[in-house]
Amino acid sequence: MIVEALRRYWREEFVLAGCLAVLFAAVAILAQGFPRDARLFPTVVGTAGALLSVTAFAIAFRARRRGGPPPDATAEEAAETPRRLGLAVLSPPLFGLVLWIFGFYVASFLAALVMPPLMGYPQRRVLLPFAVVTVVATALLFPVALDVSLPHGLIGDWLIDRFYAEG
Amino acid sequence: MVDNLILGFGAALHWSHLLFILLGTVIGLWVGVLPGLGAPVAMAILIPFTFSMDPLSALLLLASVSVAGAYGGSVTSILLNMPGEASAAATAYDGYPMSQQGKAKVAMGLSASASMVAAIIGVLILMFAAEPVAHAALAFGPAESFALAILGLTIVAVASLGSTLKGLAMGCLGLSISFIGLDAILGTTRYAFGSLYLQDGIGFVPVMVGLFAITEIIILITQGGTIAKGGRLEGSLWQGFRDTFRYPVSLLGSTAVGAFIGLIPGVGATAANFLAYSAAQKTSRHPERFGKGAPEGVIAPEASNNSCIPTSLIPALTLGIPGGATAAILLVAVTIHGLRPGQMLFTSNPELIWGFFAGLLVGAVIAAFLYLAMIPWFALVTVVKVELLAPLLLIVSLAGAYANERNIVDVFVAIFFGIFGYFARRHGYPLISLVIGLILGKLAEGAFHQSLMISGHDYAIFVMKPIAAATFAVCLVLVLWPGVKKRIGKGGAEAT
Repeated sequence: MIVEALRRYWREEFVLAGCLAVLFAAVAILAQGFPRDARLFPTVVGTAGALLSVTAFAIAFRARRRGGPPPDATAEEAAETPRRLGLAVLSPPLFGLVLWIFGFYVASFLAALVMPPLMGYPQRRVLLPFAVVTVVATALLFPVALDVSLPHGLIGDWLIDRFYAEG
Repeated sequence: MVDNLILGFGAALHWSHLLFILLGTVIGLWVGVLPGLGAPVAMAILIPFTFSMDPLSALLLLASVSVAGAYGGSVTSILLNMPGEASAAATAYDGYPMSQQGKAKVAMGLSASASMVAAIIGVLILMFAAEPVAHAALAFGPAESFALAILGLTIVAVASLGSTLKGLAMGCLGLSISFIGLDAILGTTRYAFGSLYLQDGIGFVPVMVGLFAITEIIILITQGGTIAKGGRLEGSLWQGFRDTFRYPVSLLGSTAVGAFIGLIPGVGATAANFLAYSAAQKTSRHPERFGKGAPEGVIAPEASNNSCIPTSLIPALTLGIPGGATAAILLVAVTIHGLRPGQMLFTSNPELIWGFFAGLLVGAVIAAFLYLAMIPWFALVTVVKVELLAPLLLIVSLAGAYANERNIVDVFVAIFFGIFGYFARRHGYPLISLVIGLILGKLAEGAFHQSLMISGHDYAIFVMKPIAAATFAVCLVLVLWPGVKKRIGKGGAEAT
């Protein structure tokens, strides 16, 4: 593991353990406002979770000071580059955002059209038919076959409302 | 008994009933494959269509969806590390590494044969032991359910893949998530912060889609290439089919775990899937092979979830208490058709009930053969370029997360858990522990408070009930055993 990747690994490890500790502490503290029976489990689990996370943090801190490879690093780490990691982590929330605003079909079309070239897919001529087939297949699978209408998004809903108002 | 069997097979093998079994099997396999959508969703959609059918056709159609859904759920677990059904999540732990090694067909052969054997055993238990077993299951009260939930959590703690400390932390996180929303027993709303969405609790489906599907999509994008690392498929379907029978202990042991869990209302096939996997790992002579493509790691979860489904019908048909979601929907279908669960169902409608049992057996075999026929096509997914596969999977997974409750917030919950799952997995936090904590959290807390209500807040109820006390003793042994083993080993070494 190169130095920058190692530094990033430890940073993530501390942030993860720290966030979990804060979350568990919040679970235990907020539980004190509940009635007696309702707070029992959250208090026990929150306290145990906070202690475990702090211990994980301390173990990571000691391991870092000792040097050597991180104890729990997985194989996924090795293959990634910051660009690919950024693309991988940002793709789902961006898809969600476009889905929320423009609806499922626009989000699906854009995902099928834009994601492959960003990941380095060379055959660009395939992309438009691929995106169209993906959207048509999704439209046939969910609304037609499974009777699940997919979200139209804020703009889609607004357009549908306008269409009915004018109609 | 033999007369009843002949009567049942006579009814089930009628062409119209066979047609409904086939239709239900195809639908079940299909929805099982889609992450987020499972057999209960398809069964709920189909219920209105069964109103005009005769009762046996309706029950066979719905039950076939349920049986085949369990088969279909394992397809994406094995090929893509994305469980199509929550009850096939643990299958991914060894099925997916096999796909990465190019052995997708072998893994699916293992899954098909283990599923078929377990489903047949489950149906046979349902046929021959329904009534006595249902009465024995009545002895399983809240105290016993609480003890069983604690056993599940203990197994997570002692058998989690990776760091035990991180496994426990993830288990606590799963439990914490299960606290969100209105508590059905205590009537208190917790951690909702005024949000209507949180008041209902965080759904299991978006969490599963996030932790497994979205996490895996992120990993696929970072790594590129194809799922099968060599870019080609090795091994055959029949190799997998044969290999299943080389591990009879895993096959039969996990079938027994699943069949037992199916009898207990509220626990379900998902818990059976994880518990059987953990038990198989714990009892294996080579636990180090688990998580790297061990055949037993596919056989155990597949056998358990498929034996769980038929036995979950035992309390539903005999006592009117459903063992899980699919059993609950079948119970609805039974009552819609004017039938009442209980002893009368067996005595007044022998053709219907035995036809239903025989149809389940026929359905299990049909599902296995349809699944086997589809495997060569399914397996090709592992050699498709990730650049095309990842967007497709993202679209289908998030559509599945939305489709369950038709709530857009579920999509964002799935995305959140996907990103969290990616970083957690990268740092050795086992996702399996979070899932078990989430599944067992509500069960454990509900059963705990119900037990105290029954006993008038006397904690002795947990040790006075023999089954509960024995289960707690097993928990204690599991926790203490590693230390004892180490001490024995040390003593032995000193003696030599």
